[in-house]
Amino acid sequence: MKRFFMLLCVLLMVTPCVSGCSDFVEPNQLAFVIGTAVDQVQDGSIEVSLQVVIPSQLQKGNSTNSESFIVISAKGRDVFEASQNIQRKIPRRLMTSHRILIAIGESYFQKNELNLLFDKLARDPSNTLRDVVILIKGGRAKDFLRLKHPMEYVTSLAASKEMNINGLQDFTSRQLVIDSLSQGTRPLVPVFKVEHKTVSSQKKSEGIPVFAGFAVLNKKLKPVGFLNDTECAGASWLAGKGMFQGITMPWKNGKGMLSFRLSRLDRSIRSVRGQDPKQVVLAIKAQAYLLENTASLDMTDMNTVIDVQKYMNAYIRKDLQATVNKVQKSGSDVFGIGEYLHRKHPIWWKRQRDEWDANFKTVQVTVKSDIQLRSVGVIGGELK
Amino acid sequence: MNALSIDIEVNEAHLRQQFEDCSDIVFRSFKLSDGAMLLLVYLDGLTHVQSVEDNILRPLLFNGLPQGEKPVPSLAERMKREWLPLANVQTVDSSDALVQHILRGSLGLLVNGEAAALIAQIPGFEERSIQEPKKEATLRGSKEGFVENLRTNTSLLRRRIIHEDLKMESFTIGSYTQTEVVLAYVKGLADENVLSEVRKKLGQIDMKGIIDSAYLEEWLEGSSYSIFSQIQNTERPDIVAASLLEGKVTLIANGSPFALILPITFWSGLQSADDYFERFVFVILTRAVRYAMTFISFALPAIYVALSTFHPEMVPANLMISIATARENSPFPTVIEVFIMMFIFDALQEAGVHLPNQLGPVGSIIGALVIGQAAVEAGIISTPIIIVISLTGIAAFTIPRYSATMPFRLTRYMILFITGFLGFVGFAYGIIFLLIHLVMLESFGTPFFRPVAPFDGRRIKDIFIRYPFWIKNGRNKKGGQQ
Repeated sequence: MKRFFMLLCVLLMVTPCVSGCSDFVEPNQLAFVIGTAVDQVQDGSIEVSLQVVIPSQLQKGNSTNSESFIVISAKGRDVFEASQNIQRKIPRRLMTSHRILIAIGESYFQKNELNLLFDKLARDPSNTLRDVVILIKGGRAKDFLRLKHPMEYVTSLAASKEMNINGLQDFTSRQLVIDSLSQGTRPLVPVFKVEHKTVSSQKKSEGIPVFAGFAVLNKKLKPVGFLNDTECAGASWLAGKGMFQGITMPWKNGKGMLSFRLSRLDRSIRSVRGQDPKQVVLAIKAQAYLLENTASLDMTDMNTVIDVQKYMNAYIRKDLQATVNKVQKSGSDVFGIGEYLHRKHPIWWKRQRDEWDANFKTVQVTVKSDIQLRSVGVIGGELK
Repeated sequence: MNALSIDIEVNEAHLRQQFEDCSDIVFRSFKLSDGAMLLLVYLDGLTHVQSVEDNILRPLLFNGLPQGEKPVPSLAERMKREWLPLANVQTVDSSDALVQHILRGSLGLLVNGEAAALIAQIPGFEERSIQEPKKEATLRGSKEGFVENLRTNTSLLRRRIIHEDLKMESFTIGSYTQTEVVLAYVKGLADENVLSEVRKKLGQIDMKGIIDSAYLEEWLEGSSYSIFSQIQNTERPDIVAASLLEGKVTLIANGSPFALILPITFWSGLQSADDYFERFVFVILTRAVRYAMTFISFALPAIYVALSTFHPEMVPANLMISIATARENSPFPTVIEVFIMMFIFDALQEAGVHLPNQLGPVGSIIGALVIGQAAVEAGIISTPIIIVISLTGIAAFTIPRYSATMPFRLTRYMILFITGFLGFVGFAYGIIFLLIHLVMLESFGTPFFRPVAPFDGRRIKDIFIRYPFWIKNGRNKKGGQQ
């Protein structure tokens, strides 16, 4: 027994030496891909561009003028082939596990269905699926990656941080894959555009990425509608995904504005009286804090407070109802109402699911709101 | 056995021959008024000379024999009974025994016409006083530490456990050193099997000398090739007393301030005496820190190598880019770099032990400046590795017992070696082998990894979080059974 154990030890010590000692890859043999862009090119193939960081440029003391990343592009018939073509051009092994962002250019998503693209993403085990998927409106995704951001060292990081800070956390490619595989939900994908504004006094800016709303995708992941940036906050709230952080509304008489910060956002779906699946209520809940009051209202008065709360509820309800109606017209159920009905009325759902995009248009969705005005601010009344 | 002669001249000649070339032997012969010849023999420096003069020489020479007593047959008997105001007096009749006693610091007194010698124990040698143990300092608790003198050490234990069941069996080991070793245990609590095994092994020791209790440790251990020590050593009498009450067995060797405690488990190396002196809630935190750091102390370099060179996809993007940035110009592979740094760290540690006190700052300056700064600025060693190795080094020092850190310092190299080839697979191999070894190991019949494996629900209360004493004993505070 003892001899066997010793032999086993020796064999195991020998194993690593004979199994190839240079298995490890040093970090300076890797090219860390931070962002990927996909564009359509003329001949029908696709062009993949990879944004790769240059670690030596990030070191302290190096001049800030040199770029801290490069963008390399190559064409191919699918994502894998294009990536292989890129690999041939650079001396380090491509490492896509740390990717932050996948940008898809307008030329691609207008012509193709995105589910072909995401097959590679979901199938390849080396993808962590933690990256954010965005669409680029009005331009090539490749140019988007090439932008130099004034604050962050790569635009991909800037875009993903921008979404995070604005409460849009749940838009990773993992979520996209989950949404696209479920039958009763359609994905929402953020849309970015490049805004050419001068933000730096030193030099002319090439433009910065700006969040421009959502694209509503259908079952085949093809965009069927766009929501602008005012509608999208409500849409992500109704979809149970994001945070609706603030709202500004004009007061009844049209004089002055009221601004609220909203927190503890909640959303629930229920069908009316539990019987008719075609009548659905989207109930939203939140707590509001009054932050700005230019309507000369005396908030120390209890009646005014109740008045404001009622008005705010009605305003938000109207706003969201309009968003719901717009989404419904596109026929893409981004709110997950289908998923709810699937669970609530499974037998009914079986007849509906194949044409859910068409049937969704006929469902009557009502928005109900329960928003509590929690605080009227530090100064209750107005400054005299 | 040479019996002593009646003739004092013969005895003296024999003793002088035995102690030939021993410059520290003292012979003092004198004659009493009634014609009796007496001879005092002792080793200078081991016997308390003042006491010899006060208690033996002065009464005999100046005061004469006490009157009014009925005659006693021999002078030696008379002296033993009446004249020597000393506590520990005995008679021996062989010259070998006499020599042995003299060597241990006793005073030999021979009388002409008697074939026996009187032995008086008047030890008087210089020794270290009881001090705070430096290696195992605690914030709270007793400040006493063991010293080199065996009797002082046993007295420290006797003063803590005032019970006649505290037994102290004596053994003499070492053909030249004749070291007295005491096997202390509490009868009724200690395991008889452990005791008989220890007695048997002590009897088998065949050495010229036992200089320190560490010598005993190697003779007693069951698995000598294991990297884990199966016997605990401590300078603290309070730890020994607590262990004795837990049913453990202690060995104290004369001349060594370190007592040995056995059997022990893996966890006793990770526990500090302070754990039992501080409030138990706080101890939960300190133990959690200590266990986490123990893991770090042998695993962190390997984890770093595996993560950064085998599985970079497991590291968050920003962290990985930071690491890549720092390692951009490194000339060596990560494994080699970590090996170099670990080697340098151990070299610094070893140098620190041997550096004379006056040269201490030199060592730290060279260590901090040359390795910490210059190597990084020259681009030979990257910063993350410095952080990893320093953290690993610090982590090993959170283990309370120095001898318990050794196995982890050694395992660090082994696990790094195999991880350098195989990545996390190798790391898993390393940990599995370590666990197999720990589970197979035994310390005097006690499984080394108890109470985790084999699981013991009652004892595990003292491993991860220290329960208060009243819960551990299965009683609630008011005295009823739980």
